[in-house]
Amino acid sequence: MLTKKLSTLHSFLLLASRRAGHLARQQYDVIVVGGGHAGAEAAAAAARMGAETLLVTQKIHTIGVLSCNPSLGGIGKGHLVKEIDALDGLCGRAGDWAGIYFSILNRKKGPAVWGPRAQLDRQRYREFIQAELLGTPRLTVLEGSVEELQVTEPNPEEPGHHRVTGIRLANGSHQISARSVVLTTGTFLSGSLFMGQTTSPGGRIGDAPSSAGLSYTLQERLGLRVGRLRTGTPPRIVKDSVDFSLVEPHLPDKHPTPFSFLNTHVRCKPEEQLLCYLTCTTPGVERVVRESLHLNCHIQQDTKGPRYCPSIESRVLRFPGRAHQVWLEPEGVNSDLLYPQGLSMTMPPDMQLLLIREIPGMQRAEIHTPGYGVQYDFVCPTQLSPALQVKSTQGLFLAGQINGTTGYEEAAAQGLWAGVNAARWALSMPPLALSRTESYIGVLIDDLISRGVTEPYRMFTSRAEFRASLRPDNADLRLTLKGFEEVGCVSSLRYQEAVRVRDSLQEALAALQTLTLSAPNWTKKLPNIRISEVKTTSLTGVDLLQYRDVSFEMLASAFPECLSRFTEFSQRLKIEAVYRFHCELQKKEIERIQKEENMALPQDIDYFSLPVSLSQEVREILDRFRPSTGKRREDHAETNQTIRRIEKRSCVQEMHLYLSEMTDKLPCKGVCIPQNVQNNKLKCLRTCAIFMFYIR
Amino acid sequence: MLPSVHRGILKAAVHTLRTRGAPLNRVMSICDGVPVGLADAETIFALSSGHGRCGVAVVRVSGPASATALRSMAGLTRSLPPPRTALLRSITEPQSKEVLDRGLVLWFPAPHSFTGEDSVEFHIHGGPAVITAVLQALGSMPGMRPAEAGEFTRRAFQAEKLGLTEVEGLGDLIHAETEAQRRQALRQMSGDLGRLYQDWSHKLKRCLAHVEAFIDFSEDELIEDGVLTQVDKSVCDLQADIERHLKDERRGERLRSGVQVVIAGATNAGKSSLLNTICQRPAAIVSPIAGTTRDVVETALDIGGFPVLLTDTAGLRDSPDLVEREGVRRARERVEQADLTLVVVDCAHLPSDAQEAAAFLLAHLKSILPETAFPPTRCLLVLNKTDLLHGDQRQKLDWELRRVCGLPPVCLISCHTNEGLQDFVTVLHNSVKTLCGDPLSGAPTLTQARHRAHLQQCVTALAQYQQYRDTDLALAAEGVRLALTSLGRITGRVGPEEILDIIFKDFCIGK
Repeated sequence: MLTKKLSTLHSFLLLASRRAGHLARQQYDVIVVGGGHAGAEAAAAAARMGAETLLVTQKIHTIGVLSCNPSLGGIGKGHLVKEIDALDGLCGRAGDWAGIYFSILNRKKGPAVWGPRAQLDRQRYREFIQAELLGTPRLTVLEGSVEELQVTEPNPEEPGHHRVTGIRLANGSHQISARSVVLTTGTFLSGSLFMGQTTSPGGRIGDAPSSAGLSYTLQERLGLRVGRLRTGTPPRIVKDSVDFSLVEPHLPDKHPTPFSFLNTHVRCKPEEQLLCYLTCTTPGVERVVRESLHLNCHIQQDTKGPRYCPSIESRVLRFPGRAHQVWLEPEGVNSDLLYPQGLSMTMPPDMQLLLIREIPGMQRAEIHTPGYGVQYDFVCPTQLSPALQVKSTQGLFLAGQINGTTGYEEAAAQGLWAGVNAARWALSMPPLALSRTESYIGVLIDDLISRGVTEPYRMFTSRAEFRASLRPDNADLRLTLKGFEEVGCVSSLRYQEAVRVRDSLQEALAALQTLTLSAPNWTKKLPNIRISEVKTTSLTGVDLLQYRDVSFEMLASAFPECLSRFTEFSQRLKIEAVYRFHCELQKKEIERIQKEENMALPQDIDYFSLPVSLSQEVREILDRFRPSTGKRREDHAETNQTIRRIEKRSCVQEMHLYLSEMTDKLPCKGVCIPQNVQNNKLKCLRTCAIFMFYIR
Repeated sequence: MLPSVHRGILKAAVHTLRTRGAPLNRVMSICDGVPVGLADAETIFALSSGHGRCGVAVVRVSGPASATALRSMAGLTRSLPPPRTALLRSITEPQSKEVLDRGLVLWFPAPHSFTGEDSVEFHIHGGPAVITAVLQALGSMPGMRPAEAGEFTRRAFQAEKLGLTEVEGLGDLIHAETEAQRRQALRQMSGDLGRLYQDWSHKLKRCLAHVEAFIDFSEDELIEDGVLTQVDKSVCDLQADIERHLKDERRGERLRSGVQVVIAGATNAGKSSLLNTICQRPAAIVSPIAGTTRDVVETALDIGGFPVLLTDTAGLRDSPDLVEREGVRRARERVEQADLTLVVVDCAHLPSDAQEAAAFLLAHLKSILPETAFPPTRCLLVLNKTDLLHGDQRQKLDWELRRVCGLPPVCLISCHTNEGLQDFVTVLHNSVKTLCGDPLSGAPTLTQARHRAHLQQCVTALAQYQQYRDTDLALAAEGVRLALTSLGRITGRVGPEEILDIIFKDFCIGK
């Protein structure tokens, strides 16, 4: 797969200019605005779904640019990459192509929280993404800047107040129509850049700011609530100016593990991987931060920045008197630069230089490009459906930082799902949701749309309630099969591979299960293993595999005739055996949540005429909030206290219970409820709902 | 400290002790088919004091229309009375303005009321006609309806005026029949038990947050290595705490639902006589014929403030009679479930030598009590029919048996003459008190079987943490998470966002 890609890369790049040159048509199924991580996945996914897709971006050569850190994956984020790959997305394969330092984080803490991660070569990553996109059938790439969205009256058959019909490009009145539009504008929506005391409009240094028209359409025309967030990036350091004798080198894994389920190895040879270096801040760093505070207008503003990835200024101000880690990461095989992770800063460039020179190993360091801060608008994601469509606007989908997230992987995950649903909308297929019980992508989207964000959202493994089941190793079993059979975004090649893997694992587990011996007989077969069970108990191969020191290889060499053909899956089988019991335990809770998730509330219900005992205030809030499902959410972070009160009272669930009762009897759409419905039954349901919340 | 027997510490109490449902059923029964007050719009009213003729009756009103009701029924056209101050007014029918009664009115504006809503209380004369008239007047106003059972409490609960354990405590308080029950319920209602569980839940949350921080951040960050050692210690302590709480030998639950005291012994030993003597009424049929009692006879009592469920059983013997055999089976079953067994022995059957008597009694106990009950700590030996002993024989026997080791406390009584009865009741009272514990001292006790089940799950889940601590931290964390969920079923659930908040409060995190 990889070698084939290498040979075809250049021809794709040639194709790019041709594609971009002239626009073949004025009518598309899906238009994706923005060519970052979300946009690239969205466009590719929509095209895979069979939709005629147009990707509009300011510059083709910045498609797939890593704007900030040159790395992919990590704890929680690695899960997302695996899931995107399982749904046939791009970033996993791109990571395998561009990676120059592979490691699995949390190796000692259990396979459910392993964090596959790689340092990337920026150049190679960009090339791969561009080649993929330009080589995707049904996908056209266009250079341009979107001036505004074309919006019209909604389709009365579907919920919503508006309907999107296409875009209008800047420079002239060039209009392109489409049934759905995916906005992935990243930090460009009313973005401003901060460095020291200077501020300029823009979303990334070196790129033109996006037009104000888009922001206007979203807020004024569509009435969407927006908020403001900030982020930042560190200065890039000239590699030759760093004294490597004073920093601690960190080695990559000896055997790189690919992200993609399709790859057995990565492009980079193990011995050609580069190193990362660790150093740390000193009291001098804190001094420079304090002395430059009055020159630093970004840090003085109280826009919410990421708690998880704070600037060096906020780190030393929040936790003074400590040494903070600084990682020096390679930017690429041929790059002369280093990326100092942990040193995102917005002070004036001369102060930035003073600061980094207070750090061991960087006393003579030179800055290639100074760090800067970005503030940008995001659309409050509670206004989105589980398909990432704006609830009030038919055909408009949002993905990435515009929804208040941070990180490439989070953006890519949303992009993929928004692309899938944009295509489904355009092709008149019903929307699809991913459950938080089956994937981290589901957790991500569910958190966004039901809790909203107050700070940039980043994925953690602790956000997933069913972590034991949602492991990086089984993302293909969880998503690839569904992706092909139900969603339609997975190629048959990948599907066949996933089916082969599933069948082999099942066969192997069945073979292990039938392998039953008494404890003394196992000891004869595996003399080095201490088996604690009493003599009379008989143990299966699966039981044995749960022993800490037993590997599948050991069993396979003891029983080569029935097990040796499965050694390809040794690691996965070991993990399956250990986690099986815990996954079974979670099944019941998973089923309960899925049931709640499936209880979709109609989006066009009239909360004002519902014959339930609700105050006007509550009705107004429900009308505005329009919960998507009957799911109980006691930890809703919507600041409005009243909403929290309602949430606590399980009003949503009550509403749902009522509706599910009703919808059994009435046509689903446009619920019209007679005033005299079985009032008693309704009241019982309501009571149960409330008490379920407390007693469960 | 024990008042005289005849002054009613042995109040033969009503049977309702038995009929009260299991704790969970109680809470659930509030919602069984009853409309609930999500009802922001509805105002409810009810007679809150007991039914029947009485000096003063209290009618309570809660909801948005309370103020209107107060205005129109107490003739307060201009202003409402000052909050929470009693005011003597004529209470009138709102339309006809006919005076119904003269009484006190109290105004409790939201949120400072029991339900958290606007509330009004009418303290009126307790005659049935007056009460009916006032309730009818209230019902005639728009937006008012009679409250369903428990609805005021439910509204208080929904307004977060009370937590779940407090609600359960309140329910118990209303149903409390004995002094000790009242104390325990009041203590639970004031939130003692809730606070204990909250405290554990808080500790668990921190444990989970720290494990999660170690999983999600330690690769990038300087999370101190000591973090997990701290968690190990906390988990260990919590496990011990909860286990200790669980090992209260069901004291709280027992106090809540009554101590099971079972009278057992050979036929014709005087078991039914003992029951009747304790209840001071002929609850069981007594006759000189062996095998008179064939079924189980139960009666509820208040002994020095503690609820006791006293059970008389059939005399234990091999009988060819099918009915009596069933009675004996039931008797043995009751003895097995008993919190305290009163083994009744006929003095006349005792050997005269003290040593032999002791051996006889021990063998007798073995034939009655199940094997698990040895050594017999939850047992009293009642030697009946002392009136049949001669002269100083009684004293000698008493004195000598006290010196024998391995026998449970011995009481010599005569159900015929009431000799020794007072001493016996003192011993019984002390035993019951030990079984229930003092509801006011020490840590709050477990009162509900539902809590016990969740706490047991919690302990099991914590064991999972220990099991996987060194091999798979994700599964270890899963254990803490499960423990927290179990505890959350008592105190309220904990979401992932809350855990992250603790992580960011406790650690210096940043990528």
